[in-house]
Amino acid sequence: MKTIKILLTVLLITFTIPTHAADKISPVSGDALVSVNGLVCDFCARALEKVFGKEEAVKDIHVDLDTKILTIQFNENQTLDEDKLTQLITDSGYNVEEINYVE
Amino acid sequence: MRKHILYSLMAMGLLIHSAQARPVSYPGGITAMTMNNGEANTFHLHYSPTAKTSLGYKFEYWRDKELKINAFQMNNLVKRWNKKDSQANLYLKSGIGLAHSDDGKYDGDNSAVGYTGIAADWEDRRYFVSYENRYTEAGNLDDFYMQSARVGWAPYEGDYGDLHTWLMLEVSHLPENKDNFEITPMVRLFKDVHLLEAGMNTKGEILFNYVIRY
Repeated sequence: MKTIKILLTVLLITFTIPTHAADKISPVSGDALVSVNGLVCDFCARALEKVFGKEEAVKDIHVDLDTKILTIQFNENQTLDEDKLTQLITDSGYNVEEINYVE
Repeated sequence: MRKHILYSLMAMGLLIHSAQARPVSYPGGITAMTMNNGEANTFHLHYSPTAKTSLGYKFEYWRDKELKINAFQMNNLVKRWNKKDSQANLYLKSGIGLAHSDDGKYDGDNSAVGYTGIAADWEDRRYFVSYENRYTEAGNLDDFYMQSARVGWAPYEGDYGDLHTWLMLEVSHLPENKDNFEITPMVRLFKDVHLLEAGMNTKGEILFNYVIRY
């Protein structure tokens, strides 16, 4: 019984510790808004975050699971073209529906 | 029962300081998982060089059979269907390694082991359906086939970073068993890099699965 209590306590702590939830970012000029197919879960969003996190040109990303829109914010004077964005998303296991850059 | 909990705690203890239950992760992703139910305790650690393949080590302990398996496992994403509001996957999961038996006349015997099977799933943000099977051949020690299917429902649609909750029902079929069908209702909790499943089957046996991905 004591073991079960310890186990339940560990689980409770694990799932209640505040974690870094992706903050929404307000798109500015130059940001890319990508409509992605297959974004159905938190894991999909996390996969994109990991893959884009390795790109020097990328400052921050946000995934909206409701609209299936990936917002990519770039570092100053840097960007990624449509081909590169498509490749990164395809390599992550998802499909690009549409890409738009904020003017 | 105590052994079951002990295995779970050991696995969690190993994993809790390192950083979800798909067979393949994102490129460069590492996944560790422990699956525990009425039949077996397993531990699987894999690395995904691409979003289509994972390579890793798998340990299994089949309690009634007293069979231990240490194997190299490769998972392949055969096909993925990405739709606007849903996703479906077909995987091939195979492993080769060494089996060790502590059962009756085979006590202490070793044998090469190989297994293969398919896994398929479909999900949107509210519903989940999956099916999986596997055939295992362990030379003179054992050979067996198993299959399972799941349905799931999420009571709410969580945003990115929220705690995601699923209520699931699993039906597993192990033809060689006397009671060869088992039904297990369970809860799946998913947050950040952690995925946890807990349930109890109709025989009162506990299911406890934990996956961490980083």
